[in-house]
Amino acid sequence: MSQEKMSRRDALKLGFVGAGAAMLSASQAMAAAPTEKDVKFDEEYDVIVIGSGFAGLAAAAKAAERGYKVLILEKMGRVGGNSVINGGAFAVPMNKDQKAFGIEDSKALFIKDALKAGLGINHVEMLELIADRAQEVFDFTVKCGAKYQTGKKPTHFGGHSVARTIVTENMSGSAIIQPMAAFVEKLPGCKLVTRAKMDDFVMSNDGTTVIGVTARINYRFDNKLYSDDIENKSGEKKVYRAKKGVILASGGFAMDKEYRKIQDPRMAPDMDATNHDGATAGALLKAFQIGALPVHISWIQEGPWASPDERGFGVAPLLTQQGLFVKGVCVDIRNGKRFMNEMADRKTRADAQYVILREDPKAYPVAIGTYNTFDEQIYAAIEKGLQGGVMKKFDTLDALAANYKIPAAALKETIAKYNEDAKNGVEDQFKKQTLKDMKGKECIEMKGPFYAIRTVPKPHHTMGGVKINTKAQVISANTNKPIAGLFAAGEVTGGTHGASRLGSCAIADCLVCGFVAGENI
Amino acid sequence: MRSKKTLLALGFFLILGVMSLVGSEVNASSPQLKITPELKEKFTLKPHHEKLSFKCVDCHEGQGDDPENFKAIDDKGCLSCHKTKQYLADRLKFMDNLHTNPHNSIHDGPKLYCDECHFEHKKSDNMCLSCHSNDVKLWMRPTP
Ligand SMILES: Cc1cc2nc3c(=O)[nH]c(=O)nc-3n(C[C@H](O)[C@H](O)[C@H](O)COP(=O)(O)OP(=O)(O)OC[C@H]3O[C@@H](n4cnc5c(N)ncnc54)[C@H](O)[C@@H]3O)c2cc1C
Repeated sequence: MSQEKMSRRDALKLGFVGAGAAMLSASQAMAAAPTEKDVKFDEEYDVIVIGSGFAGLAAAAKAAERGYKVLILEKMGRVGGNSVINGGAFAVPMNKDQKAFGIEDSKALFIKDALKAGLGINHVEMLELIADRAQEVFDFTVKCGAKYQTGKKPTHFGGHSVARTIVTENMSGSAIIQPMAAFVEKLPGCKLVTRAKMDDFVMSNDGTTVIGVTARINYRFDNKLYSDDIENKSGEKKVYRAKKGVILASGGFAMDKEYRKIQDPRMAPDMDATNHDGATAGALLKAFQIGALPVHISWIQEGPWASPDERGFGVAPLLTQQGLFVKGVCVDIRNGKRFMNEMADRKTRADAQYVILREDPKAYPVAIGTYNTFDEQIYAAIEKGLQGGVMKKFDTLDALAANYKIPAAALKETIAKYNEDAKNGVEDQFKKQTLKDMKGKECIEMKGPFYAIRTVPKPHHTMGGVKINTKAQVISANTNKPIAGLFAAGEVTGGTHGASRLGSCAIADCLVCGFVAGENI
Repeated sequence: MRSKKTLLALGFFLILGVMSLVGSEVNASSPQLKITPELKEKFTLKPHHEKLSFKCVDCHEGQGDDPENFKAIDDKGCLSCHKTKQYLADRLKFMDNLHTNPHNSIHDGPKLYCDECHFEHKKSDNMCLSCHSNDVKLWMRPTP
């Protein structure tokens, strides 16, 4: 009888001894984590890492460099989770390019920006850690072979008061993940297995310490299931001992149809999101099961720069965040007026878009700009956006207005006022920070052509997760002290970004905390 | 899986016009497993494999003779004919210029499992579509 075919009833018939391993599958309703006496270990490692994104690979690299035998379990067929489809934008406060282009930055300014976006509920000690070590982890990725578009003026992301973001060579996180995965796999004692899903933590007999995990190899994630975590029975059971402990780096849950809806009922199960299919809450919930302290779970960030005219992340987010939003405008199509600071933090912008979309769900606000509004770093994406049809190009504002049914006169008036304010160095009604450099210049070039993208917020980043301290130890809700043998890093942790994460800060967060976990385990 | 390679060679002969080899002899070397019309319908083959008159056990080698219990053959099975992932990536090298080579994507390089996209007995998928819904049709044909 193969494992996937063995029903719970069959398992019961076999009795607990024979079927012990099968009974420990993720399907258990009477949740209690297995303990040492319930299992027979198939293999033994020093460190087990769950997840192969920025956080998992950074943690594995550090732990393996210390001579530990490391096993990385990745449930998907591809390496890298959200990290490998990410936009490659890496905020590094006080970086060399900022200095070269005369941009003044500081740790205090970075933290102030993050707190403003996060509505003040951020865990500041974590922000300090990121600010202190972002440059170091950036340099580490370069050592692994990651390639960046350095030597250019850094990109200015929404909610940041200065430009501090460096973009990878290929505008994707894969430019970091691929070389890091290769680096990690070359380290002696480090092994990365894909299609291997962690099911349960294994606890010491006294229940205090994480000593391993149960997992299934040859696991096939199935995106047709409503809840892969609960319904998927594929794979063959393995039990792994982790002598030093387990590092949870399983990412966020913005693709978990049920869990995200419970946290925010406005997120219907069929709502499009930017994440990879495997961004579900299963592993996070297993951490809660053994007492991990939850923090900020219901703060789910929506990316206000996505488009209804393509699925997932696509290409619009590059063209708006590093383009149309920076010097262009975003208007309410019903009246041709601006309605937000296009460079505000994500929550502020998504909230403003929803004021419109809740009144009229089809009135997707339109972002408008001219060629000069695009950052050099994303020039290569412009043609892609036009070819795929997510971005459209018009010779005149009249043609643009007609296409989106925007009142043309009102639109022209909006743009004229916007351009005039910027040119005169007058702060605009929404206090847009990127217009400061536009004094004496023309923001939207009236000679055209004009580029436009319809926008809609899409679930993007889950701020909440397990609480970790600055050593990346997971804190127990039962003791307020670290859970022995359990560390976590990356999007599966919570608190750091408060109510809303600043764009391009996840890479630094995941890599820094992954490092810290690998150093401290 | 030598037999499969032989079949491939045979396939070329077929194309050259040695048509008499087609048909009735298909089941000859696997007396245990009769390929009935029902079986053919249940486990359809892709046209390019069908053309080569593949039998079940050419791919499901050493897996017994009950198709219901056959397991996916994994990358190793596919690559026993299709050489290496690097070879497959190189064949589509002309797509690298626009970063649209599905066998060497900017996200994954030549590293994905074959059956992330390609399925023999059901409709294949295109993983790129999950984020590039508008672009895939401009980049490539439907996944074989
Ligand atoms: C499309 C997109 C673009 C983005 N762009 C940017 C950007 O430009 N800059 C920026 O700073 N941030 C960006 N972000 C956010 C950032 O990429 C993510 O927050 C970050 O990648 C999370 O890294 P991680 O290592 O925590 O998780 P992930 O990279 O998601 O990795 C977690 C891995 O764990 C695996 N896993 C989960 N459960 C299990 C289990 N039970 N067993 C085994 N494996 C498991 C998952 O399959 C996944 O591969 C973007 C996010 C998305 C989705």
